[in-house]
Amino acid sequence: MGKTNKGKKAVLLGLVAMLVMVTAACGKDKAAEGNNNGGSESETITLNMMHPWTSPNVDNEVYKARIAEFEEQHPNIVIKQDGVPAAQYKTKLRTLAAANNLADINVVWPGADLDPLVAGDLLQPINDMMDNWASIMPESALAGFNVDGKQYAIPTKQSFVDIIYYNKEMFAQVGYDQFPDTYDKFIDAVKKLKEAGITPISLGNKEQWPLQSSYISIIGDRYTGSDFLPSVLEKQAKFTDPEFVKALSVIDDLTKLGAFNTDANNMDSVQGQDYFIQGKAAMHISSSTVDGRIRINNDEGDKFGIALFPSVEGGKGDPVKSAGVVQYGIAIKSGLDEKKQKAAEEFMKFFVNEDLYKELIRNGIVVPAKVDVPEDASKYLKEMLELTGNGTAPVFDSVVPTQVVDVLQNGLQALTVGRGTPEELAKEVQDAFDTMN
Amino acid sequence: MQTLKGTKLAIFFGLFPALLIYLGIAIVPIGLSLYYSVMNWNGIGSMTFVGIDNYVQILSNSTFWLSVKNNVIIMVTGLIGQLPLGLLLAILLNRGLKGSGFFRTIGFMPVVISSVMVSLIWGMIYNTEYGMLNNLLGFIGLEGWQQNWLGDVKWSMLSISIAYIWQNCGLYMVIFLAALQNIPDEVNEAAELDGATGFKRTMRITIPMIRSTIMVCVVYSISNSFRVFDLIQILTGGGPAHQTEVMTIYMYNSAFMNMRYGYGSAVSILILLFSLVVITLINRLAGEKDA
Repeated sequence: MGKTNKGKKAVLLGLVAMLVMVTAACGKDKAAEGNNNGGSESETITLNMMHPWTSPNVDNEVYKARIAEFEEQHPNIVIKQDGVPAAQYKTKLRTLAAANNLADINVVWPGADLDPLVAGDLLQPINDMMDNWASIMPESALAGFNVDGKQYAIPTKQSFVDIIYYNKEMFAQVGYDQFPDTYDKFIDAVKKLKEAGITPISLGNKEQWPLQSSYISIIGDRYTGSDFLPSVLEKQAKFTDPEFVKALSVIDDLTKLGAFNTDANNMDSVQGQDYFIQGKAAMHISSSTVDGRIRINNDEGDKFGIALFPSVEGGKGDPVKSAGVVQYGIAIKSGLDEKKQKAAEEFMKFFVNEDLYKELIRNGIVVPAKVDVPEDASKYLKEMLELTGNGTAPVFDSVVPTQVVDVLQNGLQALTVGRGTPEELAKEVQDAFDTMN
Repeated sequence: MQTLKGTKLAIFFGLFPALLIYLGIAIVPIGLSLYYSVMNWNGIGSMTFVGIDNYVQILSNSTFWLSVKNNVIIMVTGLIGQLPLGLLLAILLNRGLKGSGFFRTIGFMPVVISSVMVSLIWGMIYNTEYGMLNNLLGFIGLEGWQQNWLGDVKWSMLSISIAYIWQNCGLYMVIFLAALQNIPDEVNEAAELDGATGFKRTMRITIPMIRSTIMVCVVYSISNSFRVFDLIQILTGGGPAHQTEVMTIYMYNSAFMNMRYGYGSAVSILILLFSLVVITLINRLAGEKDA
C-alpha cells in the first residue's frame, strides 16, 4: 500500500511539473508575441537572424537599433534575433551550415569564410537586388562577397584590424613625442617602457585571433609585401620563406622582451582593451572598431593616439598600408518560401542602406560605402580615415583557409609561452597548408 | 503460454519508447560517427572516402597525443583526488556531525551549478591581475608564490585539476554517503565489540562493505574524465598552445573550428575506444581481486 501510494505521488508530481513547464512556456510565448506585434491579428512572418553583435562596441548598438526600427515600421514581420558572441559566432555558423540549418538572415564574412557556404548552395544570390546599392557601394567593397559573378551579401562595415592605440603620456615619459616610425625605434620604445615599469603592450589572446589577425596580418605585410598571401595560395611562395619567418620572429622578440602583459593568454580581447583603457599598458593593437571605446566615447580619449605598425628594415611592404577587410555581410539563406524570401529582402533593403552607414559614421565606424563624411563627424574618425586611407593589406584569416589559420594561431600562442621557434612554426603552417586536400 | 505471450508483448511495448530514444541518441550517432570517420568531409560539401587515413593522421599527430596525456592527468586527478576526498567527506558526515545536512548541501553544490558557472568562478579565482588566489597570497605575504595560474605551462594543468576536483567530489561524497548509511548498525557494533575502531574500522570494515559502490564510482569517474570538455574549454580553451587540450577539445577544434568533420568523427571514435579499453581493464583488475 505504502509503495503504490509513493508511486502515485511520483506520477502526480511528474504531471504537475509538466503542467508547470507547459504553462510557463506558453506564458513566455504570449509575452514575446505581445512585445513584437502589438497583438495584431494579421499574419505575421517570423524571420530568424543570427548575428555576432553582443559585445559593448558602439556599432553593435547601431545594428540592434536598426533592427528595432525595422520591426516598428513592419508590424507584420518579426525578427527573431540569435546573438552569438563574436568568438563563437563563426563556429556556430559553420555548425549550422553543416546541418543545413542556417538562420533566415545571417551575418557572414568574405573570402575563405564565405566559400564553403557558397559551395554548399546555402546562400541566396541577390543579384536582382543590387540596384538598391548601385550608387553607394564601390566594386571593391562587394568583391569579397562575389563568387563567380553572383553576389551573396552586402557588407556593413570596413574594419582595419591593425590599429596601434598608444598612450601618449606614457610614450612622452620615455622620450617619444611621436609614435616610432621604424621597427628599431619601436623596439627601443618597448625596452624603455619596460624599464620605466610600464607594460608595453596589452594583449588579450585567449581567443587566439588577435596575434594572428591584428599582428601577423600587418607585420607579415611589412616584411613580405601584399602579394605574398595570394601567391602562397597559388603555391608560388611558401610560409617558410625567410621574410615570413622574420615576421613571426617579431612575436618571439616581443615575448622575449616581456612586451606583453603576463596573462595575455587568459584575457579575452575585450579584457585586453580594458587593461589598456585603464592605463595599465602603453599600447594596444586591435581593430578600428574599438576606437569607439578607447577614444570616441571615452572622456579621456585625448590621451590616446593611433598609429600603424612601423616600417621594418629591408621589408618589401609599403609601410603606409593598413590591413583591412569588409565585414558583417548580410546574407539571406537559400530556399526560403516566397513570403519569407520577400520579407527577408525587405529587411535587407531597409537594414543595409545609407542611413545605416551614416549612423555608423556618426559613431566613428569606418564603412565600406561611398557616403559623405558628415561635417560633425568625430575628429577621431577623420584621423582614422586619414591613417587607413593609404592602401589596404590583406587580413590573414580572411584569405587563408581556417585550418591553416588554426595552426598559426596555436603556434603564435606557443611562442608567447616560450615553446617552439619561428622557423618551426613557419614549417608547421606550411605543412598544414600542404596537407589540405 | 497465453499469459506469457501477453507479458512479453507488454514488456516490449513498455521498453519500446526507451529503446527508440536510446537508438536515436546513442547508437545511431555512434554509427554515423563511424561512417564519417572514414570520410574526408568539410561538413557542407561532398564527402570522399579515405579509409583509415583520418586515423593514421590522428595517431601521428603530436597535439593529439598531448591531449591524450592531459586526459590521463584528468583521469588520475579524478581517481586519486575526487574519490578519496569524496569518501573522506562522506565518512566525516556519516559520523553524525552537527549540521551535516548543511555541509552535505555545501559539498553537493558544485555538482548542481552549471559547469559554465564553475569555470567562470575558477577563472576569476585564478586571474593574475585581480584573482582571489594571487590576492590572498599577496595578503599573507607570499608574493613570491603568485603565479600566472592558467597562462603558465607549468601550472595550467594543475590549476585545472584542482577546479575539476572541486567540481565533482561532492557527487561522489553523496553516493558514498548513501552507501555508508546502508551499512547495518549491527555490523558497526560488532566491529566495535571486537575492538575495531576509528581508522582500523574504516579500512577493515567500512571500505570493504561499500566496495561495489566504490567500483561503480571508479568506472563513473573514468568515463567522466574522458568526457571533460566545458570546464577546460571555458577556463583556457585548451591553451596556451594546446597545453591543456583534452581529446574532446581536440575533436571540437578539428570538427567545428577547422571544418574537418571526418577527422573530428574519427577522434570521437578514438575517445570511445580509449574509455572502453580503460574501463574494461579496471573491471578486469577488480574482478581478479574478487576471485
